[in-house]
Amino acid sequence: MNVSSLTSSELASRLSNAGIHLQTGSFITHLQTAIPSVAEGIGLLYSDYPLVEEGGFADFHVDLIPPRNLRRWFKPQVLFLSDGAPPFKPLPLDQAFPLFEWGLNWCVSSHANNYLIIHSAVVEKNGYAAILPAPPGSGKSTLCAALVNRGWRLLSDELTLVRVSDGKIIPLPRPVSLKNQSIDIIQQYEPGAIFSRKVSDTMKGTVAHMKPPSDSIFRAAETAQIAWVIFPKYQAGSAARLEPLPQSRAFMRVADNAFNYSLLGTEGFETMARLIDASLCYDFTYSVLDEAIETFAALKPPTSPT
Amino acid sequence: MQWQAISDTALRFCCWDDEFVVYNIHSGDTHLLGSMAAQILLKLQQSPSDVATLTGLFTHLPLFEMKDELPLQIEHILADLNRLELITRS
Amino acid sequence: MISNCLVVQAIRQPESLTFLSLADWDLLLRQARRANLLSRICALLDERGLIEQVPPQPREHLEWARAIAKKHAQDVQWEIAMIRKALVGVGVPVILLKGGAYVMAKLPPAQGRLFSDIDIMVPKGSLNEVEAALMFHGWATAELDDYDKRYYRTWMHELPPMQHTRRTTVIDVHHAILPETARTHPDPEKLRSAAQLLDGYDNLKVFAPADMVLHSATHLMHEGELHNGLRDLVDIDSLLRHFGSSPTFWPGLIERAKELDSTRTLFYALRYAQLILHTAVPEDTMEAARIGSPNRVMLMLMDMLFSRALMPDHPSCSDWLTGTARKMLFIRANWLRMPPVLLARHLFHKAFISPKPE
Repeated sequence: MNVSSLTSSELASRLSNAGIHLQTGSFITHLQTAIPSVAEGIGLLYSDYPLVEEGGFADFHVDLIPPRNLRRWFKPQVLFLSDGAPPFKPLPLDQAFPLFEWGLNWCVSSHANNYLIIHSAVVEKNGYAAILPAPPGSGKSTLCAALVNRGWRLLSDELTLVRVSDGKIIPLPRPVSLKNQSIDIIQQYEPGAIFSRKVSDTMKGTVAHMKPPSDSIFRAAETAQIAWVIFPKYQAGSAARLEPLPQSRAFMRVADNAFNYSLLGTEGFETMARLIDASLCYDFTYSVLDEAIETFAALKPPTSPT
Repeated sequence: MQWQAISDTALRFCCWDDEFVVYNIHSGDTHLLGSMAAQILLKLQQSPSDVATLTGLFTHLPLFEMKDELPLQIEHILADLNRLELITRS
Repeated sequence: MISNCLVVQAIRQPESLTFLSLADWDLLLRQARRANLLSRICALLDERGLIEQVPPQPREHLEWARAIAKKHAQDVQWEIAMIRKALVGVGVPVILLKGGAYVMAKLPPAQGRLFSDIDIMVPKGSLNEVEAALMFHGWATAELDDYDKRYYRTWMHELPPMQHTRRTTVIDVHHAILPETARTHPDPEKLRSAAQLLDGYDNLKVFAPADMVLHSATHLMHEGELHNGLRDLVDIDSLLRHFGSSPTFWPGLIERAKELDSTRTLFYALRYAQLILHTAVPEDTMEAARIGSPNRVMLMLMDMLFSRALMPDHPSCSDWLTGTARKMLFIRANWLRMPPVLLARHLFHKAFISPKPE
């Protein structure tokens, strides 16, 4: 049973009472909240996601509540709780849905230590995955949003999960986070894409979330094999250019972008080594989305098995 | 003065195109080493050596124009490896 | 309360976990995480070969916790190697305390343990040299206001915590196990002379077995913030089970508690280990330990407070009295460390300084 099988008032009612058990990728989140904008965001962007009815087990327990402070009378806020404890300070109530998204990312990246978790987007085609690690402002999310609307499957826009036991990439498809001009760019690029309401004045500027193509959600159990590590950089006016990157340098840069590389110790090193060994690594500069799409379409996986 | 690697089981190496990524199991640190530093480290893992022995590893290289500076360069690399806790005096 | 607490049941009887429902696992994982005991539970199941019998979803969480504990153990051993290197020139024996001692002496409490600071004990006269050697090797005292600096230097049994500038790890350097102002005075000289060298080291020591138990008990019973209380009790239980297999250990423990002015502490530690974790303490030992018992009324009060405050700090393990119990034990701990005049001054001062961000 999916979220879409509930009407919006049923969904809002469930969320404010017993909560829902929402399945995203291989994680189950128990979510409770009485905040209307969160219920709306869930109803709109998570309509195709499964609700788990039985078992009584959840990986994460999330509540979004108004904090009990004096500000609730004149500048209402929202607090994210993970099993009743707040990992972050409260934010303005308006930002409740983005806070849910960021908070759920935090839950996964702080706990799921059977994966090497890289702060990057990851997309897949024909069984091969391209990881796009990038610091904020490099255009990774815009590029990711464009790719998944042009034939690539979304595995994640924020968290690449590399399974330590076998090196496979495990999908965690969730709404794609876009900010500022990227929102308009992608809305024009793909007019049919479904977006949450824009929320302004956040730490990242104006943000909105894009619903992933349904195919990405339905195929969330399908793992992928790494083929490319590509560091994107948007540079106004530049032609699309792929420059080979020495693998040892790619190793160090990806490790820098991993949440738990250090924590995983020797296994972190071995997982990363296996990942890099199996990949073609590049720096990628672009300015025109269509050119970027063409470059990606022409990518060939590494030829020899490692 | 002889040097040696911290232990023969503590280090893991990965190599791509003449550059090495080394992981120290004891400290949890990861290092990117150039070819010369990595070869020195591998040699010190096999057996304790001094600067003269290590110099001998590279003197056969044909394009080496600065053979006189080789021992000094090796001393610098040893100082770096020591600072990174990858080697100790033996 | 104790009966609601799945973590307590898990520690008492790890085998019983194979019968838990998914919903119970959901709750246990949350309680255990809050109590910093999830990796310990994983270690207990690993030891008994029972991990494969845990359903896949909770088993994943145990594996997540195992990875963290493994990293902690790696970090602690390296940190101790660095501390040893820094202090080798000072020429005094360094005694490792608590977690660091358990790891280096390969004792059972080290299994699945999470570590924060490293605690060491050195002779009081060497404090300045030790501090200087640590600073030379990259540690620095955290910023304190003048009051806190004087508080540490004058009254406390330790230097202010020092943090390594590159590794960000923290070391606590003690010269005794309780402050000089405390109401009881375990003599640090006696602890030092009984301390034992670690195998293969000439300057790293750990406390003798009975002293290790008494120190752990002292720490627990004098600790104001009890969010790690159950974890500390688990350490005590694990030490007692390990050392208790030798028959001379128990009478030796009682004698040593008398020598170290710690009979009250030992009484409470044995009582709560037995009540909460079902530690097998011999009858005659429990009887002999009663010399440390407070009067009946005080004992009832302490039972009421500790039975609540030692539970995981999770709503499912609390009742309406738990908050009060924690507050009262916080005040009690400060009272034990300081005479009333100093305590009032200390709490007064603390109340009017805004807390530093962590």
